[in-house]
Amino acid sequence: MTKRLLAAALVAGFLAACVASVLQFALTSPLILAAEKYETAETAAPARHAFANPLIVLAHAGHDHSGDPQWQPAPGLPRLAFTALATLVSGVGYALLLGAVLVAAGREVTPGEALKFGIGGFLAASLAPAIGLPPELPGAAAAALEARQLWWVATALATACGLYLVAIRRGPVAIALGLALIVAPQAWGAPHGPEEISAMPPVYAAQFAARSLAVAFAFWAVLGLAFGWAWGAVAGRQGAAGARRGVAA
Amino acid sequence: MVAITRSLSPALVGERLSAVLLAATLGLGLLFVSGFAPVVALHNAAHDWRHAHNFPCH
Repeated sequence: MTKRLLAAALVAGFLAACVASVLQFALTSPLILAAEKYETAETAAPARHAFANPLIVLAHAGHDHSGDPQWQPAPGLPRLAFTALATLVSGVGYALLLGAVLVAAGREVTPGEALKFGIGGFLAASLAPAIGLPPELPGAAAAALEARQLWWVATALATACGLYLVAIRRGPVAIALGLALIVAPQAWGAPHGPEEISAMPPVYAAQFAARSLAVAFAFWAVLGLAFGWAWGAVAGRQGAAGARRGVAA
Repeated sequence: MVAITRSLSPALVGERLSAVLLAATLGLGLLFVSGFAPVVALHNAAHDWRHAHNFPCH
């Protein structure tokens, strides 16, 4: 079962990464590049941020484009390739978690069932954190990174547990507890940075947030469907291999 | 006619548990590397992915 889970996760992660990479190159990467032009212009005028709260870090401030020697992928194709690689690594990672949850829940793994869990993954890891921390372009002002990461992880976990209680456990107590878990991190509130006026046209940020969620939905849907399909396909191959060994013996 | 019976062997419980734990650990490790690791080179390599998928970045 371990091999089957790992193999199905590799296949699903690869397929989801292929789809998400194409969508990212077409929809989100051009907006990131456009936003970085404004960011470069802003970091070139540091006096504007001289009185900023030291706990508030301006995203990218002084590290990506200020000529420091930190490695980063070269612009153009290498940058796209590394984005695709990160998408693949995350795709396999999310597929492993999806498979672990499916197997742990004791569900029969079919494409339909895996798709339902994939949509649950979208709700927990993409939509719920985006309510408090909307997808942001480089250059937007934000609160301290650790605080945002902590809230992100807590929200994804609480929403996932809440969805499990509401959709699988059911029962009035489970549903009440599940809804409370889903609402709690939003009621607590995400850490927010200062409201800054940026030179970047607001339409970029709005487009980016909407496109980012659309890409995430496609990613999770393909991940779920592909995992369900691959789970069956791997079993078919293992069964056929076993039958061939049986004939040979 | 060959009858194929499938039954849950006691080992399957342990096997299922180890499969789930292994997959969960590997999955969390990969996500940490691509989405959260503070190493600058990893951050820069995965930068556009982190922004596009709303991982807190920077």
